[in-house]
Amino acid sequence: MTNAVSFTAVSRHFGSVRAVDDVDLEIGEGEFFAMLGPSGSGKTTCLRLIAGFEQPTSGQIRIFGEAVEGIPPYRRNVNTVFQDYALFPHLRIIDNVAYGLMVRGVGRAERHRLAEEALALVELPGYGDRRTGQLSGGQRQRVALARALVNKPRVLLLDEPLGALDQKLREQMQEELKSLQKALGITFVFVTHDQGEALSMADRIAVFNQGRIMQVGSPEDIYRRPNSRFVADFVGASNVLPPDFTGTGKWSSLRPEAIRLTSSGGKPARVAWHSFLGGQTRVVLDSQGQRLNMLLPSTEPAPQDGATVRIRWNDQDIHLMDDDR
Amino acid sequence: MKSILKAGTAMALILSMAGQTFAAEMLTSVGAGEGSVVIVAWPGYIERGETDKSFDWVTKFEEQSGCQVQVKTANTSDEMVALMNEGGFDLVTASGDASLRLIAGKRVQPVNVDLIPSWSTVDDRLKNAPWHTVDGVHYGVPYMWGPNVLMYNTEVFKEPPTSWNVVFEEMELGDGKSNKGRVQAYDGPIHIADAANYLMHNKPELGIQNPYELNADQYAAALGLLRQQRKLVSRYWHDAFIQMDDFKNEGVVASGSWPFQVNLLKSEGLPIASVIPQEGATGWADTTMMHADAANPNCAYMWMEHTLSSNLQSDLSVWFGAVPSVPAACTDGRGMQNAEGCDINGLKDFDKIKFWTTPVSSCGSQDECIPYYRWVSDYIGVIGGR
Amino acid sequence: MTVQAAIVSPKRVGPAGELSDSLWRNPRFLLLLLLTPPLLWLGVIYLGSLFALLAQSFFSIDEFSGLINREPTLKTYRELFVPANLDILIRTVSMAAMVTIAAAAVAFPVAYFAARYATGRWKAVFYLGIMLPLWSSYLVKVYAWKLILAKEGILNWLVGKLHLTWLLDAYLQAPLIGGNSLSVSYTGTFLVFLYVWLPFMILPVQASLERVPASLIEASGDLGAAPGQTLRHVLLPLALPGIVAGSIFTFSLTLGDYIIPQIIGSSRLFIGQAVYAHQGTAGNIPLAAAFTVVPVLIMGIYLYAAKRLGAFDAL
Repeated sequence: MTNAVSFTAVSRHFGSVRAVDDVDLEIGEGEFFAMLGPSGSGKTTCLRLIAGFEQPTSGQIRIFGEAVEGIPPYRRNVNTVFQDYALFPHLRIIDNVAYGLMVRGVGRAERHRLAEEALALVELPGYGDRRTGQLSGGQRQRVALARALVNKPRVLLLDEPLGALDQKLREQMQEELKSLQKALGITFVFVTHDQGEALSMADRIAVFNQGRIMQVGSPEDIYRRPNSRFVADFVGASNVLPPDFTGTGKWSSLRPEAIRLTSSGGKPARVAWHSFLGGQTRVVLDSQGQRLNMLLPSTEPAPQDGATVRIRWNDQDIHLMDDDR
Repeated sequence: MKSILKAGTAMALILSMAGQTFAAEMLTSVGAGEGSVVIVAWPGYIERGETDKSFDWVTKFEEQSGCQVQVKTANTSDEMVALMNEGGFDLVTASGDASLRLIAGKRVQPVNVDLIPSWSTVDDRLKNAPWHTVDGVHYGVPYMWGPNVLMYNTEVFKEPPTSWNVVFEEMELGDGKSNKGRVQAYDGPIHIADAANYLMHNKPELGIQNPYELNADQYAAALGLLRQQRKLVSRYWHDAFIQMDDFKNEGVVASGSWPFQVNLLKSEGLPIASVIPQEGATGWADTTMMHADAANPNCAYMWMEHTLSSNLQSDLSVWFGAVPSVPAACTDGRGMQNAEGCDINGLKDFDKIKFWTTPVSSCGSQDECIPYYRWVSDYIGVIGGR
Repeated sequence: MTVQAAIVSPKRVGPAGELSDSLWRNPRFLLLLLLTPPLLWLGVIYLGSLFALLAQSFFSIDEFSGLINREPTLKTYRELFVPANLDILIRTVSMAAMVTIAAAAVAFPVAYFAARYATGRWKAVFYLGIMLPLWSSYLVKVYAWKLILAKEGILNWLVGKLHLTWLLDAYLQAPLIGGNSLSVSYTGTFLVFLYVWLPFMILPVQASLERVPASLIEASGDLGAAPGQTLRHVLLPLALPGIVAGSIFTFSLTLGDYIIPQIIGSSRLFIGQAVYAHQGTAGNIPLAAAFTVVPVLIMGIYLYAAKRLGAFDAL
C-alpha cells in the first residue's frame, strides 16, 4: 500500500532557523493523522510543505507516491482548512465554496449545485447567499471545510482548525470532523497544540519539538508510553521522574491518575496545594523533594493543604523512557 | 482641483470690484507723494539692481520722491487687463493690444501731459500714437518699444533669412533638413497679426492694409496660414526662458522673438542672430497708463516723469533689448545705451513695424473687422488643431 | 492603620474640572463642539466658493472690454461646446483616463511588492522612494523632465547610445502620440503626468493590499487557482477600493493641472490651461467657471459609477 504522504529526511531552514529538521514521516491512506507540538515546533511548516506553500531545503516529499518537488500548490490535489479560515470577503458563501470548481472551469450551474451539496454536508444548507461577515466563527469553520471538501481532495490538511472556537463548539466539531472523515474516507492531516484534541480525534499522532518528531504512535502509545521526557510532559502532563527517584537508572513517567492515596504503606508525601477541576481534583504533592501531580475523582474527599498523606502506585504504571530528551 | 480654488478666489475678487466707482477727473497739479506706487509690469521692466547690480532705475527714484515702488509682473497682455480689472494698482506698462481695451473698459484715466515736464522729449512719432491717444486725449506716457524680430540659428542660416516664410511655409533649410518641428511661434492671439502681415506682403490680392484690421476673408486667409504653420510648430512659445531652452535643447532654429531673448542667447555664446525680414514685422509699444482708481496719483505722475527723464530709458533699452521712447536716451549718455545699440534694437526700423493694437469691429480701413475676442477663441482652436 | 483611597476622588478644582465632568456626561455636546469649526470652514468657505463659481458660469462676458455681464444665461455653456473647446474637454478627459489606467498598472506591482514582501528596512526604503519625489518642488520636477525628454536631452542621448534612435523615431512618426521630440508630444505630457501623480496611486493601492491577509492568496492557490487566476479573482477585487481611491487622485489631478501641459507637450490646451487662460489672462471668468464645472461633473459621475460597481463595498 502506498502512503498518502511520506517525508524522507525533509528539512526546511529559514536562514539559521531549522524550522523542520531532518524529518521522516509516513501517513497512511485514510488515516486521521495529528501533528502535535508547542508553537514553533515545526508542525505547521510540515503542513505547509505538504500543501506546497513551502519548499523543502533538503529531503523528499511524496504524496501518494509522487514526488512533489517544484509542484506549486494549485497543481496538488490537496486542500487546506486555514487557521483563520481565509474565506474570501468579497464573495458570497456559495461562491467561496465553489471557488475551487470555478478556477477549474466547472460551469456555473454545476458548481453551485456541488457547492450546495458541500454546504449541506457541513450542515449549512441554504447559507449560500450570505456574506462571510454574517456568519459566526463555527459557521465560517464549516464553510472553510466545505470549500476544501468540494474539490474532493485526496488529502485534507487542517491547520489548528478548532483553535478559534469556544470549548463547547470545539467538542462538537471534534466529533463532527471525526465522523466526516470516517464517512468520506479521506486522509486528514491536522495540526494542533492541544493534546486533548489530538488524543481524542487522531488515529495516530506525531509529537513535534524544535523541528523534529519526538514520537509517532497511536494516542494510547503516546499517552501511556511516552518515549521521552518532552512527550511525557507535553502530552497529559505526566510526572517525569528522574532515574534516582525510582532507582531504575532511567527516566520514567507516571500518569497523575495512576497515583492513589493509601492508608498504609506506600510513600509519604506532603500536600502542597490542590485545585478543583470539576470531575477531578488535582493535588500537588511533595514526596522526598520530588514534585508529583495526582488526580483524584471529585467523589473522594481531597486532603487538606499541608497534611501529610501516603501515596502508592502500581509498578507497571511506571513507564521507563529510552530517550532522555 | 487647484483650478476650482483658483477660480473661486478670482471670483471673490471680481465680486469685490462691483462697488468701484469710475473717477475720470484729471489731475491739474502734482502734490506731495503718497509714499508708494503699485505698478503692473512686464517681467524685467522695472529693475532695482536685484537681478544685476548695474541695472537699477528704481532706487534713486525712491530716494528722491519718497515713493516706494511695488511691482506685480504679468506674462501676457490678457493677464495685464485682468489684473487692472481686479484693481488695486496705480500704473500698468500696457502693450498696444491691451491699452485700447483698458481705455474702452474705463480701467485707466486720461493723463495730463502738462504735468510731465519731459513729455517734450518723447519721440514725436509716439506722442499721438493711436494705442494710447483716443479722440485727442492721452491715456498714458510711452514707455518702451521694440520689434518682434525673427530669431534664427546662424549655423543653419548662413545668410540671414529674408522672409518670414521660414516659419510659415514648409521648406528645406540651409542644412538640407526640413523646417518641420524646428520653428516656433508666439502662443498669444496677437500672432494672427504676424500672419496677416506676411500675407499683406505676399498676397496683395487680399487687400490687407493693416494687419490688425481684417475683414472676414482676410481673417480666414490668416487663419489658413496659421493652420499650415501648426504643422511646422511642435510647441508654441509663451515664456521667454522656455523659448531660450527650446533653442538650446529642442533643436528649434527659427522663431519670432524679442531682442531680449536674442541678446541673452548671444551673450551665452550661442550661434544666434536676429533680423527684420522684407515683410517688416509686428512690434510692441508699451505705454505707462494710470488706473482709473489709482490710490497714489501723485507718486504715479512722479514715476511717469521719472520714466522719461532718468537713466531708465537708456539702461532698460540695454537690459530688455528694446528701443527708448525718448530718442535722446540713445545718445546723451544718461545710461549705458548708445546710438549703435539703439539701431541694433530696431530704432531705424520704426517704419517697418506695425505696432500691436487691439483689433476692434469698427475699424478705420474697412467697414467691419473681426474683433479681438474672435482672435482669442480662434487662435486656441488653431493651436488645438482646428 | 492603613490609609485607604476614597471610592470617588474629589472633583478637579476650577472651571476646567467642572467642564470636563459635564462634557463627559454630554458626549453629543462635545461632538458638536469639535465638529462646528471644520463644518463652518467646509460649508462656508469651500462650498460657498464652489457655488459662487457655479453661479459665475451662468454669467457671460463682454468680449471687448472684458467686463462681466451679470445676466443669467446659458451662452457660456454653449460656448463650451464649440469644436475648439470640445477638443479641450475630450483631450483632457482622455489624458486623465490614460494616466489613471497606466498609473494603476504601474502602481499595482510596486504596491504588491511593498505590501507582501518588503519588511523592516526595505519598507522604509519603499516609503522613502515613493514619498521622496513628493517632497521636491513640482516645478523642479517638471523642468527636469523637460531636460530629460528634450530632443537634445538625456533620454535621446541614451537611446542614441543604445543604437535605438530608429525605434524612437518610428514611434515619434506615429500620429497623435508622436511629435518632433518626446518633449513636444502627448507621450511626453503623459509620461510626466504619470510620474508626478504615481505616488498618489501607489499609496492607497498599497494600503488596500496590505489589508489582504496572506492566507487568502494561499487559499486561492490551494484551491487550484493559478497565479493569474488569483490576481483576477482575489487580489484585484480586494485591491479595488484602493485602486478607485488612487484613481480619484490621479484622474482629478490630471483634469485640473495646467502647468505640465504648458511646459511639456504640443501647446494644445488642457482644461486647467483653458481655465487659467480664460480667467487669469483673458478675464473671462464665466467661461473659466464653465470649464471648471466639467471636472466637478465628471468626478461626480465617476464616483457614482464606482459606487454602483461596488468599489466601496469592501470598505
